[in-house]
Amino acid sequence: MSSEQDQLKETNTEERFAFKKDESAAVRSDKGLTEEVVRLISEDKDEPDWMLDRRLRALEHWQNMPMPTDWPGQPDLTELDVEEIVPYIRPDVDKREGADSWDDLPEDIQDTFEKLGIPEAERKALSGVGAQYESEVVYQNMQEQWEEKGVVFCNMDEAVQEHEDLVKEYFMTSCVPPSDNKFAALHGAVWSGGSFVYIPEDVTVEMPVQAYFRMNSEGMGQFEHTLIIAEPGSEVHYIEGCSAPKYGSHNLHSGGVEVFVKEDAHVQYSTVQNWSKNTFNLNTKRAIVEKGGRMEWVSGSMGSKATMLYPCTILKGRGASANNITIAFAGEGQNIDTGAKVYHNAPHTKSTIESKSISKDGGRTNYRGLVHISEGAEHSSTAVECDALMFDNESTSDTMPYMEIDESKVDVAHEATVGKIGDEDVFYLQSRGLDDDDAKQMIVSGFIEPITEELPIEYAVELNRLIELEMEGSLG
Amino acid sequence: MTATQVHETISEETVREISEDLGEPDWLLETRLDALDALGELEMPDVIRTPGRDWTNLDALDYESFVDPLNAAEEKDQVGPDEAEVLPLSEAVEEREDLLKEHFGSVIDPQENYLTALSTALFSTGTLVYVPKNVDAEDVTIRTTQHSQSLFNYTLVVTEQSSSVTILERQDTGDDVEGDRYYSGIVEVAAGENSHVQYGSLQDLDEETYNYTLKRGDAADYATVNWVEGNIGSRLTKSSVETELNGEGSETKTVGAFFGHDDQHFDIAARVWHNTAHTAADLVTRGVLDDEARSVYEGVQDVGRDAWDTNSYQRENTLMLSDDSEADASPKLIINNHDTEASHSATVGQIDEEDMFYMTSRGLDDESARNMLVEGFFVPVFEEVEVEELREDLETRVQERLHE
Repeated sequence: MSSEQDQLKETNTEERFAFKKDESAAVRSDKGLTEEVVRLISEDKDEPDWMLDRRLRALEHWQNMPMPTDWPGQPDLTELDVEEIVPYIRPDVDKREGADSWDDLPEDIQDTFEKLGIPEAERKALSGVGAQYESEVVYQNMQEQWEEKGVVFCNMDEAVQEHEDLVKEYFMTSCVPPSDNKFAALHGAVWSGGSFVYIPEDVTVEMPVQAYFRMNSEGMGQFEHTLIIAEPGSEVHYIEGCSAPKYGSHNLHSGGVEVFVKEDAHVQYSTVQNWSKNTFNLNTKRAIVEKGGRMEWVSGSMGSKATMLYPCTILKGRGASANNITIAFAGEGQNIDTGAKVYHNAPHTKSTIESKSISKDGGRTNYRGLVHISEGAEHSSTAVECDALMFDNESTSDTMPYMEIDESKVDVAHEATVGKIGDEDVFYLQSRGLDDDDAKQMIVSGFIEPITEELPIEYAVELNRLIELEMEGSLG
Repeated sequence: MTATQVHETISEETVREISEDLGEPDWLLETRLDALDALGELEMPDVIRTPGRDWTNLDALDYESFVDPLNAAEEKDQVGPDEAEVLPLSEAVEEREDLLKEHFGSVIDPQENYLTALSTALFSTGTLVYVPKNVDAEDVTIRTTQHSQSLFNYTLVVTEQSSSVTILERQDTGDDVEGDRYYSGIVEVAAGENSHVQYGSLQDLDEETYNYTLKRGDAADYATVNWVEGNIGSRLTKSSVETELNGEGSETKTVGAFFGHDDQHFDIAARVWHNTAHTAADLVTRGVLDDEARSVYEGVQDVGRDAWDTNSYQRENTLMLSDDSEADASPKLIINNHDTEASHSATVGQIDEEDMFYMTSRGLDDESARNMLVEGFFVPVFEEVEVEELREDLETRVQERLHE
């Protein structure tokens, strides 16, 4: 640590104590994301100095970068009051020990759990009660099965302590540096929680690694960081189940996901997200794939007021490949702006992007994608396919693919279609005895099948049920 | 863009002089002066941006070096059949002031961006094509050969109810000038009810010329506006071909072809707005890139809230002949009405190795095989070109380029 940092830390100790003495007042008067808050988080987690240093550098980027405002057709972020983020952080930190009870959950969220048929124990976990307990059980199971082989699956905060060297090397360095974008910078400054997954060389983890209910475990789920390192020849399927709607009070989720796919390794990252309808969901997810490695992204984006999420894959080594499957569902008042980015930076790399979107009741879905093929990435190929299904005339669907091709020996294809639900299809199903709603649901289920078949059965079932709920419009 | 970059001859006096030479009415002079005034505040036309990158850098153009409106010189053919009126602008301001007043700037806002405003303030040559009710006019030709440093050209096409017209426009360069050149062309098409406009264009400017072209049609009920957009020449082209389907049952088809070599840069857009019910659009573009040439393609199909029963299709294919070339593409779909059938596709690739192998195994040398495959690549778009003369011209220019 430099003497300058020592000095910073020194001068701040006093403030920090003062801060703690008069907690609520100090926080509420403190508008905007400040150095004090960042130091407080780091201190609270007892982090090493280098992590604090990274947080502070990220904070600087956050303060210096402009908000994205002028992308064509981008979600409106003006309602996102960044100055209000800080008051949300401090109470969350305080909540570490305590937890919300099931009864404290908003009724519509309770209702959703009921309708999803989520078992009582899981509900408790999802609502925050006993999350730590539940997660410890899961970690222990993991440890029993994989410990001998050196697999690590733990909370990200814990990883900073227990696996410091790895985290120091990989955390927001080469994959998602805080300078990447405004919200990556924010994330770097205030991140908390998340998962750390390390798979040693040639180890295959047969069962999916699931981080299903960690979201509320520390009450700071909206800035969680996921770091996955898959050593050469290893294989893992990580599932992030954010299917629980979030607490209504939170209005920003800005997660960070970094995946390192080493030579001939294979990582699948699946996520089903259903944020509450007042959440701004602005994430940065990226994978770097070495020679012969394979990265698969499977995402279902259901909830949120606005989502801007474009999982990105950098195909760095020869023969690396990436597959993206995304589905977006936007209902009333929602703007789901999602897609995929792939950089082909080596020869013989391959990528596919399959995007499906459904919009109804004035919802807006965007596909925004970027495929970049660098000079020298010869014999690379990419295929992008986007399909949009629209239910009514209040809804909007945009497709904005961007293709930057610097190399001639490539095969690049993009296709997109938009259509309404065919009256004939509905008529056919109705004539077989289904009512209008069921017929439409069946058509939608067929439409999203490419996604659901990539997911373990319980997630697929859940995704379908979530869509059914959306279709009924009966969440509350 | 700031006004400080504008050449000092771009002044009120210059604008007044141009306007006076053409014998323009006051309202047109005012429109020019307003555009001139607005230059300081206007932005460059939109270009595709992805993080960290503008795909075409229009701000880098040094207007001082080539804008020289008072010395504009061109050779022009403006001919058409007797049934239609094809008038040079200097005549149109006298004989058809009513049409000019009604339609000038009605399809393209003179102050839409910096380059449209520059064009409006400084245009010195142009054509009015007027086709009266129920008249079919074939073979309208507008050929412009630029002899000067800069040239600002304005074209207005007005078709009355149930008329039709076929227009073939060509631009090339004649006398050599020192340094870079600038050609700017604005084309407005007001297509009346049930009329049919076929507007073909072949841009074959020399490779020291920077080119800005904006063509836009407004289609009334049951009208058709079809475009053929051929780009062969220029050093840098920023060209947009657009149709607003404002009338019920109106249609548009855009056929684009470009062939870039050396360090040519083509920024090409094909756009359509479906603003009402039962409209149809088909956008088809094929391009070939050789050497260090670069293409940027943006296609937009915008289906508005009231555009019930829309059919909209778009295809773009780029063939890359060289590792040093670059192709960027963004075909966009913007859909606000669910009663829509829309699709788009884009591909980028090189000549198929199997095709090459097949051709060479039949005794062709590599170059001949490649040339035949390039010519073959253009066939599907050339087949869509209804104007025979334009199709032949395009084919000839492609062949010439292949054998250069």
